[in-house]
Amino acid sequence: MSDANPLLRFDYLVDQRAAIVAAVLEHLELTVATVALGLLLAALLAGVALRWRWLRPTISAGTAALYTIPSVALFALLVPSTGLSRSTALIPLVAYTLVVLVSAILDGFDQVPRPVEEAAEALGLTPRRRVLRVRIPLALPVIISGLRVATVTTVGLVTLAAIVGQGGLGRLILDGLRRAFWTPLTVGAVLSIVLALLLDAAFVLLERRLAPWAVRRTARP
Amino acid sequence: MSGVRLAQAALPRDITLREWLLDGASWTGEGGILPSLVDTLTLFGAVMLVATLLAVPTAAVLAHLGRARLIGAWLVNVGRAVPTFALAALLVPISLRAGYGFEPWPIFTALTLMALPPMYLGTYTAVSGVDRAAVDAARAVGLRGRAVLRQVELPLALSIILTGVRVSAVQVIATEPIRAFLGGDGLGRYVRDGLGQRNTTLIVGGAALVAVLAGLVALALAALQRLLVPRGVRRLQAVGASRDVPA
Repeated sequence: MSDANPLLRFDYLVDQRAAIVAAVLEHLELTVATVALGLLLAALLAGVALRWRWLRPTISAGTAALYTIPSVALFALLVPSTGLSRSTALIPLVAYTLVVLVSAILDGFDQVPRPVEEAAEALGLTPRRRVLRVRIPLALPVIISGLRVATVTTVGLVTLAAIVGQGGLGRLILDGLRRAFWTPLTVGAVLSIVLALLLDAAFVLLERRLAPWAVRRTARP
Repeated sequence: MSGVRLAQAALPRDITLREWLLDGASWTGEGGILPSLVDTLTLFGAVMLVATLLAVPTAAVLAHLGRARLIGAWLVNVGRAVPTFALAALLVPISLRAGYGFEPWPIFTALTLMALPPMYLGTYTAVSGVDRAAVDAARAVGLRGRAVLRQVELPLALSIILTGVRVSAVQVIATEPIRAFLGGDGLGRYVRDGLGQRNTTLIVGGAALVAVLAGLVALALAALQRLLVPRGVRRLQAVGASRDVPA
């Protein structure tokens, strides 16, 4: 039987190449949408935490608590209200990025040296310009490494969004499992692993370009 | 060979969450909640045991010797990047063709690989971050290599090591339900069956069970961590916490 159903059948690759490309694009699209929305929401939350300091522990604990909800549960819980739609996938995916992104933004702002901020103030920069021209650029390396973790995690979770009928490459995996036909499973799994590693590598390059002076390791278990 | 099993017995569509959870038959017997819980906890325990034994001693010794910093960091990053669901799925046909069946090797391997990086990183960071003065003092009073590690570095690093283990454990218990979509069962089976049967009660009830278990495990581990760290070390860390102890 091994030849009827090998791990990879090349004729399938050729036949289905349009579907495979479409799955990769859908996967990327969902990943980009998730991280973009996540960053927007995280920036808002971090802004709130910086402006009203007493809210900071609540925001940190809240986003951390969201992260401990099992992915299968969070995807499934939304099905009764939003069905098997894009939102059902997007809401949990965005929720999972928040813990990483909010703490990256806050850590990034925290590590801007006081003397630099004081110098900017002494030079007469308005508070708005101090944020835009000094604090954000200096916080950028930490924020980028947060984006890296969020993006890579999202690629993996998008695969799982297939259980609610979304998520490009994950659908190939589930399809392969349901039919016990291994080629789509192998294609979906290998491509999502490759996609995650490629994006991870891309972020490493971006980090080096944007902050060559600080190849900072996010030492955080 | 057939594909992934679907639900055996369909639950009535109009059953309420209350009825399902209060019916003794939902809890015991074939496919009941209790046996599924045992399934899940068994896999969780096995994964945590193997991953801890692999990651913590290795990282502690390497950090003690000051070796493998770069390769370790690189492996941790790669390990964190690889999607667990995809990896487990990829292992399914390999396991089947080798005659080991759907379960438990693919999911066990994928979860163990997922558990390693946080523990390794936590242990490595913790041991190499131990105050040099304490290590030097230990050497000055005559402790040698391994005794320094066992009697000074490990106790001082314990709290952060346990944080790493806890982060791993929370991830593993939260990810374990994917097993139900990979030809296995465990507590995630009700979500899968609910989605398959379009039964909202099962979906919501199953998701709640999985989420409650993950929450309880997280709380239990936080309590265990408090219990295991010696009070003196804890006080020491409360003092140093404002400095540079990683979260």
